[in-house]
Amino acid sequence: MADFFAFLLSYETLRVIWWLFIGILLIGFAITDGFDLGVGTLLPFLGRNDEERRVIINVVGPTWEGNQVWFILGGGAVFAAWPPVYATAFSGFFIALILTLFAMILRPVGFDYRSKLPNPSWRKFWDWGLFVGGAVPALVFGVAFGNLLLGVPFHFDADLRAYYTGGFLGLLNPFGLLAGIVSLSMLVMHGAVYLQLRTEGEIQQRARWTVTLATLLFLVAFALAGVWMLFWVDGYRLESFAGTAAPSNPLAKTVVRDNGALLARYAQYPWMLVAPCMGFGGAILAWLSSLSRRPGFGFIASSLALAGVILTAGFSLFPFIMPSSSDPNSSLTVWDATSSHLTLKWMFGVTLVFLPIVLAYTTWVFGKLRGTVTVAQVRAADKVMY
Amino acid sequence: MWYFTWILGVLLACSFGIVNALWLEHCGCLDDDPADD
Amino acid sequence: MISETLIELSRLQFALTAMYHFLFVPLTLGLSFLLAIMESVYVMTGKTVYQDMVRFWGKLFGINFALGVATGITMEFQFGTNWAYYSHYVGDIFGTPLAIEGLMAFFLESTFIGLFFFGWDRLSKVQHLVVTWLVALGSNLSALWILIANGWMQNPVGTVFNPETMRMEMTSFGELLFNPVAQVKFVHTVSAGYVTGAVFVLAISAWYLLKGRDLSFARRSFAIATAFGLASTLSVITLGDESGYELGDVQKVKLAAIEAMWETEPAPASFTLFGFPDDETMTTERQLRIPYLLGLIATRSIDTPVVGLKELIIRNEARVRRGMKSYAALEQWRAGARDDATRAQLLEAHDDLGYALLLKRYAPRVLDASEEQIKQAARDTIPKVAPLFWSFRLMVGFGMWMLLLFALSFYYCARRQAGHKRWLLWAAVCSLPLPWLSSELGWFVAEYGRQPWTVSGMLPTRLSTSTLSVGQVTFSLSGFVLFYSALLIVELFLMIKYARLGPSSLGTGRYHFENGGPAPATPHAATLP
Ligand code: HDD
Ligand code: HEM
Ligand code: HEM
Repeated sequence: MADFFAFLLSYETLRVIWWLFIGILLIGFAITDGFDLGVGTLLPFLGRNDEERRVIINVVGPTWEGNQVWFILGGGAVFAAWPPVYATAFSGFFIALILTLFAMILRPVGFDYRSKLPNPSWRKFWDWGLFVGGAVPALVFGVAFGNLLLGVPFHFDADLRAYYTGGFLGLLNPFGLLAGIVSLSMLVMHGAVYLQLRTEGEIQQRARWTVTLATLLFLVAFALAGVWMLFWVDGYRLESFAGTAAPSNPLAKTVVRDNGALLARYAQYPWMLVAPCMGFGGAILAWLSSLSRRPGFGFIASSLALAGVILTAGFSLFPFIMPSSSDPNSSLTVWDATSSHLTLKWMFGVTLVFLPIVLAYTTWVFGKLRGTVTVAQVRAADKVMY
Repeated sequence: MWYFTWILGVLLACSFGIVNALWLEHCGCLDDDPADD
Repeated sequence: MISETLIELSRLQFALTAMYHFLFVPLTLGLSFLLAIMESVYVMTGKTVYQDMVRFWGKLFGINFALGVATGITMEFQFGTNWAYYSHYVGDIFGTPLAIEGLMAFFLESTFIGLFFFGWDRLSKVQHLVVTWLVALGSNLSALWILIANGWMQNPVGTVFNPETMRMEMTSFGELLFNPVAQVKFVHTVSAGYVTGAVFVLAISAWYLLKGRDLSFARRSFAIATAFGLASTLSVITLGDESGYELGDVQKVKLAAIEAMWETEPAPASFTLFGFPDDETMTTERQLRIPYLLGLIATRSIDTPVVGLKELIIRNEARVRRGMKSYAALEQWRAGARDDATRAQLLEAHDDLGYALLLKRYAPRVLDASEEQIKQAARDTIPKVAPLFWSFRLMVGFGMWMLLLFALSFYYCARRQAGHKRWLLWAAVCSLPLPWLSSELGWFVAEYGRQPWTVSGMLPTRLSTSTLSVGQVTFSLSGFVLFYSALLIVELFLMIKYARLGPSSLGTGRYHFENGGPAPATPHAATLP
């Protein structure tokens, strides 16, 4: 038993556990806030008049705020567990991140203020605000991940100050954009399934068709990205490094770029194929369930697809978190970009205690707020609902 | 321990608010104006 | 390397976004407890008017909350975008409270806030009451964790430099958590929030009373606000005093600057009530002084001297020199001398390593700094005095005024005369901006007074930034200015509109504009959703 704890709390294990935790956070974000982003993207298209749009908004209205905390916590957890990644990635992707923040700021205001005035242009403005607040982050997250898979241009000086040399437009390369489409179509699929689950009548019908469309787009884009990655994207390989329990200094290693690295990795660990299979399988299942009018099951299936996609990216990178294309030795990995052992331990303990509590009350709240939203309800509760 | 003080203090301040309302409610001071809406 | 303009712009952006975030924070902190109080009374008495109060003040709460969240998202990511070296250098300690804040506090408040607004029909009375209390608890816990983070920047405890990772690392989570500065900061700041909530409810209710509308609604709100506000103002003042005391302990420079104490005085020092500090000559002109008072406030004794700025500069010069020793060892370490002796030498004076980093401004390689440069670096440890001196006095003055306001309101409320004292009601209405002003001034004192450091004595502000281009930060800064100004206008418009409508906005049919009152000035109001 003591051995087990020693193993569990060793620096090496905790580094892997934190890689997993950040993955779980990302998946939690994609599953919960993901459908909010998808629903926001669909809002101007699936709601044909003001009342219909209010129905759509109120489907996510009471819970989106809590869901968004997965995103905020993602930021905080990367800060706490991987400070160099927080520093390098966020300052490197500066313009992209600032634009995403602007887009995300539109959401709280859009949800809360939109229906507080009756003026149609006011409401229309915020409807598009919610669209931007949904679509832009969904797209940018994909683009960012695409670029991480390619590697991004940065290096450190001897003080470990990070220099990013890529600029904003550099992010908008073809592979990055394809990854953006993967993420946008996947979140739209997820959002449409959720809408189908929580609405009735015409809106539900429209949501159903949207699922079909988005899923097809997603399947094509995901497959394309996979093939592209396997055959044309350079992978990164750790040649030598200071060890899995060494102090976190990203300059103590050598890394090579290698065209076949990714194929070799999947050949060596074939079980990792589970992740992309989950991506494809989940999406197909979600599509079939939606067609056969079982959106509840579809929601679980599309959540599975989301998890699959994120795990695929994670597995393809491991142990890298943020490879450097211009100076591969500066790349950030799970072994040299974490917090100290003590910090990881404390954060591990805190997460073990609080994550289950959060999950418990979130489930309770969703239970209390379940059921469909209809035009009649919106009419009856004109002054209460968003 | 200021954290502890905070717990006590905030509960005290809140009960102060509650008690004030209940007390004024009890003596009917909140409704006595005929010009009430 | 890093240009002066980049640093100035980054500071400006942080100051702007943080101060803007803190326009919304205090109202959330205070109003959430006021809502919990009102709803508790509702559950106890069963009177519908209390439920209407929760719903109406809750609407205003929601308008404010939305911007609190919107601006908070920026803050969470800004350390990485604009302060990347800071994030690398102290992230091992600083990131922890931020992550815990998300897990423990933001989830709580943001998950239950939806249920607060939309759960009235789906929950029992008591369940809904619990939800309201949980929202209040969540927002206050979020203040707790962020202020632990900020308190650590003011007084960095439980930390050691690690040459292998070139950063500060945590040595004790307990010290971080129970940092005395963090503790007083937390209680002072949340109390400031409670005062804000109370003044908000007080002022708007006073306005209804002056207009003679929705009287029974307004009186009850007024009564609750006076009691809660009186307790909160008392505590914000006591705890502000305690902040001053903690400052005396750990941030002598800040304290001396706030008090424009140029010279060390024999104990107990006198307190400068008023005067015109001059940074050039290091004197304060036309001062009005109260003997003994400062010594009592800052040291709680009559025989400990309060150290003046001139002496602090001399002390800090010694620290720069000591820090250079540590830096020399660090250079040897980096050159490959990774033995215990070098490490010991590095750690011996590592408390002052930050002071050596101040030299980077003048001598990028630190060790070849001239005497003149060392003196200049020591001089740099003193922030500008006049802005601190004045901001602090304004904050304290507003605090005293609000204490008076609440004391009188409470007194007349208890004697059932508050509704007839029109001067008092007007005073309440006019005091509406004061808590916000005080809070902003307070943050200015705390943060500007910490300059030139981001982390006191450890990391100079100048070194903390990201390696961005001036163009990038100009873009983000102007974006924030435009975007935030537009949002503020929209927010104020809605706030004023709903405050003027009052409880009639609930559509219950029980209130002023719904039963014969004159139509409100704003168009469409009667059909407002
Ligand atoms: C003393 C209190 C206090 C202080 C100093 C700060 N905040 Fe704050 N913050 C709150 C108190 C608060 C709050 C009361 O919890 C808010 C304000 C209004 C609201 O909606 O929640 C909030 C909202 C809020 C949110 C949205 C949370 C949500 O969705 O529930 C984020 C991400 C942050 N903040 C982050 C920060 C960061 C990174 C800060 C430091 C630079 C910061 N805040 C300073
Ligand atoms: C919301 C309340 C806050 C306000 C109003 C506020 C205000 C300010 C101001 C005015 C400055 C600029 C000082 C200057 O450059 O002259 C500043 C800087 C800074 N503050 Fe705060 N602050 C707040 C909370 C915090 C918190 C909670 C933290 C950390 C957890 C923090 C960290 C910083 C940092 C990193 C800087 C940048 C470096 C600097 O310019 O000093 N602030 N803040
Ligand atoms: C009347 C007596 C008051 C005293 C003696 C006082 C004292 C202080 C001191 C010494 C600081 C600086 C702490 C630091 O630098 O770390 C401070 C900060 C602050 N004050 Fe006050 N204050 C008073 C009233 C108020 C009022 C009425 C408000 C608002 C309603 C307020 C809000 C703040 C805030 C938000 C801060 C920044 C956070 C912090 O550093 O604690 N203060 N106060």
